[in-house]
Amino acid sequence: MKNKLILFWTIMAITVASIFVLWKKPTSLGLDLVGGSRLMLEAQTSAAVPKITPEIMDSLQYAIENRVNAMGVGETIVQRVGSKRLLVEIPNITDTTKAKEFIGQTAELEFKRPVVGANGEIGWESTGLTGKDLRKSLVGSAPTTGEWMVELEFNNEGARKFSDLTKELTGKQMAIFFNGKLQSAPRVNEQISGGRAQITGGEGGFEYAEAKEMVDLLNAGALPVGAQIIQEESVGPTLGADSIKKSKTVGFIGISAVMIFMILYYRVMGLISCFALIIYALINFAIFKLVPVTLTLTGIAGFILSIGMAIDANILIFERTKEELKMGRSLFTAINSGFDRAFTSIFDSNVSTIMTCLILYYLGASMVKGFALTLIIGVCLSMFSAITVTKNFMHLIFGSSELKYPELFGLKKEDIENAYQATETKREKAKFGVLD
Amino acid sequence: MANTNLIENKYKLDIIKWRYVSLIVTGILLIPCIAAIIYLMVTQPNHAPLKLGIDFTGGTILQYSTDKKMEISDISKVRVDLEKVGIKNPVIQTTTQSLSDDNVKNLVSIRTSFISDKEGAQKIQEITNTLADDYKDIELVQVNSVGPTLGSELLKNTMTALILAFVAMVIYVSFRFQVEYGWIALLTLFQDVLFVVGIFAIKGIFYDTAIDSLFITAILTVIGYSINDTIVVFDRIRENMRFLAKKYSSNEIINASINQTLARSINTTATTLFTLLALYFFGGATIKDFVLAITIGVTAGAFSSIFTAGTVLSIVKEKFAKKAA
Repeated sequence: MKNKLILFWTIMAITVASIFVLWKKPTSLGLDLVGGSRLMLEAQTSAAVPKITPEIMDSLQYAIENRVNAMGVGETIVQRVGSKRLLVEIPNITDTTKAKEFIGQTAELEFKRPVVGANGEIGWESTGLTGKDLRKSLVGSAPTTGEWMVELEFNNEGARKFSDLTKELTGKQMAIFFNGKLQSAPRVNEQISGGRAQITGGEGGFEYAEAKEMVDLLNAGALPVGAQIIQEESVGPTLGADSIKKSKTVGFIGISAVMIFMILYYRVMGLISCFALIIYALINFAIFKLVPVTLTLTGIAGFILSIGMAIDANILIFERTKEELKMGRSLFTAINSGFDRAFTSIFDSNVSTIMTCLILYYLGASMVKGFALTLIIGVCLSMFSAITVTKNFMHLIFGSSELKYPELFGLKKEDIENAYQATETKREKAKFGVLD
Repeated sequence: MANTNLIENKYKLDIIKWRYVSLIVTGILLIPCIAAIIYLMVTQPNHAPLKLGIDFTGGTILQYSTDKKMEISDISKVRVDLEKVGIKNPVIQTTTQSLSDDNVKNLVSIRTSFISDKEGAQKIQEITNTLADDYKDIELVQVNSVGPTLGSELLKNTMTALILAFVAMVIYVSFRFQVEYGWIALLTLFQDVLFVVGIFAIKGIFYDTAIDSLFITAILTVIGYSINDTIVVFDRIRENMRFLAKKYSSNEIINASINQTLARSINTTATTLFTLLALYFFGGATIKDFVLAITIGVTAGAFSSIFTAGTVLSIVKEKFAKKAA
């Protein structure tokens, strides 16, 4: 009895701690609930980069993070998916046009040298000096004409390369390409060793916005490889708010219906299971906040289903307890053997559910992952809730008392006599839990 | 008081007596499902047993909301407008969504082939502008776009996940019970999945319902639930075999076990259906099909655990007994 009281107060302490967590920590809601956009990018191989290595992905992720953050929209997420994909999540922004323009831009700056082709026409050839060799860039204006231009400052290696290149090309033209487009092709008069260069906008000059965008892109870091958007999803905030409101209604209606059913069918045991269920839901949500699990629509579906599984565990136990009572066992023995015998069913079925969820978690798309995660947490916790919490409450309430009022368990007096006859178990033996 | 036949008198449902009838009824119910699946596999160019949504085939869905009620004539006008801006064969569907009692929005969703990201933003803007000519208040609420390679990859991953889940279940049940239990569990799983897939194939034929990756989640949930039900019945048979095998035949034990677990099967299914129905009627439009798939699967799972698992086991056990004799 003493142990049972300790357990009871432990359960209560965990419950209070959960309520505290629920009150203090904010819930992280998924994009489908708050509204926002989700883009999936895939790194593209090219002649220059035939294979996507983890290092390339690291710098791609870094560059994309910089660009998305430059939009200044708050908590964005850039996440690696598989070996060559990035998932970008931008909350609250549903118009992806701007985001896409920003992400989609490759910001490939290249310096090229002239080559004479077979037919005498002039072509351009890569020199190995690219946007990667930049330290930073600024918008500037030309002192003489006042035209907008982009000022470049190379890093040490870039400065050396630039110096070598201008030495080699003295008296010739050098071309500057941005995203494959020729920006300008000035004549090199002398070797430039200061590590600085300017790009002017050719004949028409740059618009300010044009120069600014180029600078932003260059500063955000050139993407080491091209990235293509292969998936796009955006959810308006009204739809999201609607989903939250509806999920709350559903949760309330569903759980109330289940509770009413349990109380009507299993009486006192049903009432106990309702309390256990409330504790279960509180702890479950607290775990969601601690992990933290980002709640999405499918995640909520997983949670609701795990409630179903928790109730199933209780039903299994209660049905078994009722059967044991019908066989004429004492209340204490019936409760214990009800739990023990239902346990193998609960264990086997929950393990199989967890196995399916693990497969889902490792192979599923992000949406499916959320579902699998909440269901795994829910099922694991339901074993604790059904076995420990419900059992503890039952023992504390009924103790070792006799079964005086079968109606409290949804049984009739006649049931008990009948079942007793049917199984041919002697009352004395049955009382001590001996089986035929 | 001694009465050796009492175990039979307790049956509420004599499964063993009616076992062939129940298997035949199940077979008859499966016929339209299988027919619909075969029909789609033959008629669809990709030979898929279901109509596949953009998650698997690649494509773009744009969803707009407006206060104006959409009639059939409106939809055909939208179609003509879209073809003008170069969108070929769009699939246009309308639904309504009530935000509150007096604020009902009409949703128009347009499904097209994949709009690539290069000119994508511009194209979507064009579509929005075209629609805004007719519907002043039109608002783009949702964009969902999946590239074709990603789609086929997801389909592959999904099939792998399904097969792995099946294999894992058979191994687990064979290990915890016996090998024949494992195969019968697989059979009941297969039957349940067939019902869900079949009904969605029928929905696909008549209502053009296409499945998305949520549907796969639903199928996997159904597998988890169905194996739950089957295991509960098997667990009871296993236990009774241990204690009663000397006194009673395996048929009697199976019959008694199914009856002993009957109340649990019905109550669990009932409580699950409460929540699912609440989700179906009050949940968002986005998860309606998802909930429907699980509802069908859970119901099918309860039936298969009562009417298929035990009956097939009794037939298999009888065959073994005959061989041994």
